[in-house]
Amino acid sequence: MPLVTLQLNGRQAEADVPASTLLVELLRGPLALTGTHVGCDTSQCGACTVLLDGRAVKSCAVLAVQADGRAVTTIEGLAGADGAPHPLQEAFSACHGLQCGFCTPGFVMSAAGLLAAQPQPSEAQIVHALEGNLCRCTGYVNIVRAVQQAAATMAGGAT
Amino acid sequence: VSAVPGAAGAGDIGAVGDVGRFGSGRAVRRIEDAALLRGQGCFTDDVNPPGQLFAAFVRSTVAHGRIAGIDSEAARAMAGVVAVWTGADLAAAGVQPIALAPAFKRPDGRPMTAAPRRALAHEVVHAVGTPVALVVAETRAAARAAADAVVVEVDERPAVVDALAALEPGAPVVWDEAPDNVCAEACYGDASAAAAAFDAAPHRVRLRIVNQRLAPSPMEPRSVLAWMADGRLQMRLSSQMPTAVRGGLAASLGMKPEDIHVVVGDVGGGFGMKTGIYPEDVALGFAARALNRPVKWQAERLEDFLAAVHGRDLVSDAELAFDGDGRVRALRVRSWANVGAAATTTGVVIPLLLGPWVVTGVYDIPLIDLRITAVLTHTNAVGAYRGAGRPEAVFLMERLMNAAARRLGLDPAEVRRRNMVRPEQMPYTNAMAQVYDVGAFEKILDQGLALAEWGGFEDRQAASKARGRLRGRGIATFLEWTGGNALEETVTVDVTADGFIELTSATMPMGQGIATSYAQLAVDVFGVPIDRIRVLQGDTDRANGFGSAGSRSLFTGGSAVSVAAGRSVEHGRELAADALEAAAADIEYRAGRFTVAGTDLGIGLFELAARQPQRRFSVTDKATAGAPSWPNGCHLTEVEIDPATGVVEVVAYASVNDIGRVVSPVIVQGQVEGGAVQGFGQALCEQVVYDRDSGQLLSASFMDYALPHADVFRGFKTAFDTSIPCKTNVLGVKGVGELGTIGATPAVVAAVMDALDRAGHGDAPKRCRCR
Repeated sequence: MPLVTLQLNGRQAEADVPASTLLVELLRGPLALTGTHVGCDTSQCGACTVLLDGRAVKSCAVLAVQADGRAVTTIEGLAGADGAPHPLQEAFSACHGLQCGFCTPGFVMSAAGLLAAQPQPSEAQIVHALEGNLCRCTGYVNIVRAVQQAAATMAGGAT
Repeated sequence: VSAVPGAAGAGDIGAVGDVGRFGSGRAVRRIEDAALLRGQGCFTDDVNPPGQLFAAFVRSTVAHGRIAGIDSEAARAMAGVVAVWTGADLAAAGVQPIALAPAFKRPDGRPMTAAPRRALAHEVVHAVGTPVALVVAETRAAARAAADAVVVEVDERPAVVDALAALEPGAPVVWDEAPDNVCAEACYGDASAAAAAFDAAPHRVRLRIVNQRLAPSPMEPRSVLAWMADGRLQMRLSSQMPTAVRGGLAASLGMKPEDIHVVVGDVGGGFGMKTGIYPEDVALGFAARALNRPVKWQAERLEDFLAAVHGRDLVSDAELAFDGDGRVRALRVRSWANVGAAATTTGVVIPLLLGPWVVTGVYDIPLIDLRITAVLTHTNAVGAYRGAGRPEAVFLMERLMNAAARRLGLDPAEVRRRNMVRPEQMPYTNAMAQVYDVGAFEKILDQGLALAEWGGFEDRQAASKARGRLRGRGIATFLEWTGGNALEETVTVDVTADGFIELTSATMPMGQGIATSYAQLAVDVFGVPIDRIRVLQGDTDRANGFGSAGSRSLFTGGSAVSVAAGRSVEHGRELAADALEAAAADIEYRAGRFTVAGTDLGIGLFELAARQPQRRFSVTDKATAGAPSWPNGCHLTEVEIDPATGVVEVVAYASVNDIGRVVSPVIVQGQVEGGAVQGFGQALCEQVVYDRDSGQLLSASFMDYALPHADVFRGFKTAFDTSIPCKTNVLGVKGVGELGTIGATPAVVAAVMDALDRAGHGDAPKRCRCR
């Protein structure tokens, strides 16, 4: 079995996994990070979204071996080193951007990928960036607001 | 109209601090959020006990047939495979089908009947996706691979997937005990009086109305983990009704309920789909008991589409008789509900009872004639989906009202206004003998018209036209019954030495934020910061009850929280009297502290708990609502249609909702708006589709079943009228979880039809592409 080594949430992590293992299976299984969720089997729902070298990817559509030697950030790795919530985590709570919370890690990570590439996105850019994530509870209204609020916070603007 | 504090535009909701800001009526951050946002939620598949095995189901690939043979030899020989069971194995072991409660009768007087809902199909398969064999293996991959290696031979037979087709002579028979494919039938009202009213009516409208089949689609698919501990079966699963699961397991597995312990952690959305017991639950319980090892099954999305209950699927011929003044004299409806093959009791009760209860809605309709037939087909079972009977009934009535407005030449709002039950008629008994305690429907209508700027539509239509778009508007005025008629809840309140107030309830969280609402109610009584409140749910060893469905939790469980918390303070007063050597009557309580009136003598709430032998004090009490609550609303929407492509875009949505007293304003707004987007799905893009010939499910993934995406619509104007509290529960609250879903579908469909009507396309069928 191939040995896969990741720079996972800022620390080195490794595991021997069958070559067919998906990144999400590696994360949830051997690496025991269960914050990344699986909500479908066709790469539609986006609940499994993580950052791979800073870009948002669906970890159900990436083989674990493809992530070998690369940096992976999951929802568990988003808070600051002091445990302070990331502005996105803060904003999702402040804006009631989550209900059941199952899709939430995926939305937060998609938004994190967006804000890394485009710190001041327009509403249309936010909606476009979240096109690959499904939420059945919120109707998306407060999710988009949360991303706008987080962008403002990260830009040093008013919260 | 009361604006919503902390809602649209306000942006931020206060963090923990000032106690007064966290009681009921205040916009607070949910106590559920912190863990969920850090990836520290505890969904069933997040729990991995040592020695855990994995289950995979072999499912029927044909809609109807006799099982000729199942060859599992190759599967059993594969690496990592621990066990393979078939329906014959389970039948031999005495596993019973999930019982169908005889809630209704067939037209011939016999009890309602359906194909047996077995843990694994035995001898016959009745629908694509029915579990046929269970494979348990050391890894998920091994279980899946072995399931693929099980060879199921089926003598395929003709199938029927449509309710009306199933009633035709010569249609394939789903279940031998119902050769006519009729599961059950219900009739209500006075057919001859209604017929006389129709004969005498100067105006009638009649429509064929289809509520298509939907997939509830919570983002967390179903999930079950079963194991044995201390001789008891332990089940962790994603469920809205742990006690019902325990009872169902006990009945099917021949166990005592007390020998089963059901635990539910985080639930990734329910929407009715996670109510009650499923065949897979029984199979997992059987496997864990047989192997004495933990066994987990995580449904793939495909499996949820195939075998988690669907919703709706009701075809109706409906007609209204009007007098010369535009008042309804009678309603006549003939409906056919497609309940699937191995039907659920819920799936029959919804169209045969819950829908009829609200079909006259906010309108004063003296005469009804309803006949609803539950029909068996070779499809997955139908069950509860958000609204459960009320969306179907309200859609039907609102479509009729719109048709009547056109026929009578009245504004759609005006024909509604003329027929509304008036406040002075309260308490009002509708034609189904349901009693509305309060309601001011015309007042809600007027607020809705103002909020939506109904009168300014022509200008907006002209602006749309200038951009090459058709524009239409739709309105829905409606009410719903909430509560599941399970009106009693018990709550235990523990005050603990480590500084927490624990509320234990049998109601269930599934995203609706009920723990936060309960915590706010407890803050009202105890006057402590909200971070001192913990809410414990989902454990049948600690609390049992109906669970959460039908927008019942707040008005039943919340009432119990309020009552039990009050009793807890009273109990604390007696304990404090002992501790302070004073008379209980002289003890005052405020903000976490008991004091002797007029003195400095006092003791803290949690210090008092620390002095008790168990280092806590506990009070259990119950509350019983006197009746269901009747939330109601006026929802108005506008759509634009691109005439070149047919793409429909929702461009405005205003709603005024009478939900009585509001405990958590941010949560109720989220319920209405999120629910409305589900209603958009029914109106514009969602439909479960079976192939009529083969019975194959054609909409079995999110590639084929179109959920609304983030681009759907965000401009909600949502308001609440809190001036009409419910009179039948101590809080004065009404259920809110389903209003958005119920109101949005008729409003959006009406707007699409209005746009087409204004463009000269008349009463076009509702088939448009979702944007």
